[in-house]
Amino acid sequence: MIEVNCVSKSYGDFKAVEGLDLVVQRGETFALLGPNGAGKSTTIGMLVGLMRPDSGSIRIDQRDPMLPTTRTMIGVAPQALAVYEELTALENLRFFASLYNDHSRIDWCLEFSGLKSRANHRVSTFSGGMKRRLNIAIAVVNSPQVLLLDEPTVGVDPQSRNHIFDCISQLQDDGMTIIYTTHYMEEVERLCKRVAIMDHGKLMAIGTVDELLERHGGDSKVSAEISNVPTGVDLPGIVNDGVLEFHSAEPLETTLRLNRAGVEFRTLNVRRPDLESVFLSLTGRNLRD
Amino acid sequence: MRILKLATKDIRLLMRDRMAAFFIFGFPVLMGLFFGAVMGGGGGGKGKGAMVVAVVDNDQSEISKTFIDELSKNDSIKIELSSRDDAMESVRKGNRTAALVVPAGFGESAGILWQPQPEIELCTDPSKQAEAGMLEGFVMQAVASLIGERFQDPNQFLPAIEQQRQALADDTTMDPVSKSLLKTFFGSLETMLANVDQLNQNEGTEDGSPMSGIQFANIKKVPVEKRTPESAESKQPKSWDISFPQAMLWGVLGCVAGFSTSLARERSMGTMVRLRASPLAQWEIVAGKALACFMATIAVIAMMVALGMFMGMSPANYLQLATVALVIGFSFAGLMMVFSVLGKSEQSVAGVGWALNMVMAMFGGAMIPAMFMPETFRKLSVLSPVRWAIYSIEGAVWRDFSWGEQLPNLLTLLAIGIVGSVIGTVILSKRKEL
Repeated sequence: MIEVNCVSKSYGDFKAVEGLDLVVQRGETFALLGPNGAGKSTTIGMLVGLMRPDSGSIRIDQRDPMLPTTRTMIGVAPQALAVYEELTALENLRFFASLYNDHSRIDWCLEFSGLKSRANHRVSTFSGGMKRRLNIAIAVVNSPQVLLLDEPTVGVDPQSRNHIFDCISQLQDDGMTIIYTTHYMEEVERLCKRVAIMDHGKLMAIGTVDELLERHGGDSKVSAEISNVPTGVDLPGIVNDGVLEFHSAEPLETTLRLNRAGVEFRTLNVRRPDLESVFLSLTGRNLRD
Repeated sequence: MRILKLATKDIRLLMRDRMAAFFIFGFPVLMGLFFGAVMGGGGGGKGKGAMVVAVVDNDQSEISKTFIDELSKNDSIKIELSSRDDAMESVRKGNRTAALVVPAGFGESAGILWQPQPEIELCTDPSKQAEAGMLEGFVMQAVASLIGERFQDPNQFLPAIEQQRQALADDTTMDPVSKSLLKTFFGSLETMLANVDQLNQNEGTEDGSPMSGIQFANIKKVPVEKRTPESAESKQPKSWDISFPQAMLWGVLGCVAGFSTSLARERSMGTMVRLRASPLAQWEIVAGKALACFMATIAVIAMMVALGMFMGMSPANYLQLATVALVIGFSFAGLMMVFSVLGKSEQSVAGVGWALNMVMAMFGGAMIPAMFMPETFRKLSVLSPVRWAIYSIEGAVWRDFSWGEQLPNLLTLLAIGIVGSVIGTVILSKRKEL
């Protein structure tokens, strides 16, 4: 559905995207994960036809996204709240629908975003979460085949975030192809099957979440409060103020072996590797640095 | 069609922004009413906004009284008879616009060809030069009218000839040849005036005026040099005719300022991404903005014309006024395009836009009517699109321009619109800001 072939884009001397290769299948939800400045938004901009790559090519359903006819099959929810605050939710939806000459989905969009009861209220009176939902609703008012969501949950409360996740799940069920950019790894783990990790405009790794964790996640981290350590038992990590901390590829087996050897545990915490760990492993720094 | 949808959306957004809507639709109304009232509007005749002129009649003749009566018929002047000292003092203190001294002997010499013309002293408040200029015109008008009446009534003129003939006879210093020539001239003039009634009955009946067949060139010798504008003779402008065209331009400038920030606002809000991600072409987005500015400009001009007419403005040529409005809409939409590229943020575009608007308004006559500006400023005003716009509206409202006279204004405004559109669009596309 989406093919990105060796795409590069620079702003002056700054290389925003460098040699990016991606293929996204129809109906897939694909994540672009990376810190601010990684090149995610530039990639989205090229996918939606806002800018032409300096080199390489992008095809959506084998068509150039710069063409107006291709853009009719794309929906985008920009990172900034791209809504007219002085218009009502209904007026916003009507206006953007009119650009596609397709008013058939306006009611559906209001239902979908849970804004039907506020349809005739000005957007300026909405909460941050409601605005975000409207931002997504406008992106799907033209029944797109490809949906580009650029950081769709920035600055929203947990309740609204869950509502947005529900909306996206509904779109996934409808078979929509979604590209989702974020720097929240838990969103990726929850919503996306495959992930591309970007940093400084380059693709660092690509694969399913499990594949990336297996390849780059490293060992699980165990921390446990211990109350009794029999003499002669060799602990795998460091004990500090009665708290044992160690890394292990098989954390449960290691803990069980220690318990059998007579080590008594008051509390036990096992933290599996996550995409944060993957990013740390790949770049040497945290995702939110 | 999508351009129209874009424009409609922008106008709706503008109307929801109360401050912007006020500057486009409310402020011009206030300006029109304020300046109209200041310049003597209100339609209430004397007293309301009329120039108060202290008149000193040192002649006290029938002719001088007729002259003062003639002057007092003008709705823009309120006459107060006064002594010379009081008159001068009141002007010095700013209580009266001007003092007018009718000299002794005015009745004997005014309009008499062979005598030096009487010097009417006109003392005006230096801070009211505009009114002084208008007053000179009105004085000229009254004297001209007086002379006309004098010639129309031989009974008023014959005693003056008899008096001069007597003075000639008493003069011992004049050489005999000159005396003889003047005697002959007075005789001829007396004969002509004695036959005026007969002449009128035989020939001078074209317009019903008893003197329409006789032209007296000496009317031009009235010692008031300045004349009111030529077209004002055909249609005397009311204060609303002057104040509303200039006030309309404040609304037009409000449109320019409001819509020039619109592109920057779309960028800062992120909606530009959505517009560009839609099937819209770039030119359609730009054209949508220009169309919104054009429509708002037409709306504000139409509103001001309607309100102006309600107040007493009476356009001389409606078709011409409609054409002028369309051309002004196009011209200032083009200017809006240039303004929109003068800054990158909404704030910078708004700041630069209003600064330029103020300069254009100052030199263009939107603050003070160009007709009241000093000569230097009036010459500079041709650089301001506002001047061309006001001038063209005035041409259709009260200057009574023919289409030929209006054409240079319309062409200038069209040129401004075309150049502005091209510059704005080229810079926007080069900056890749759309």
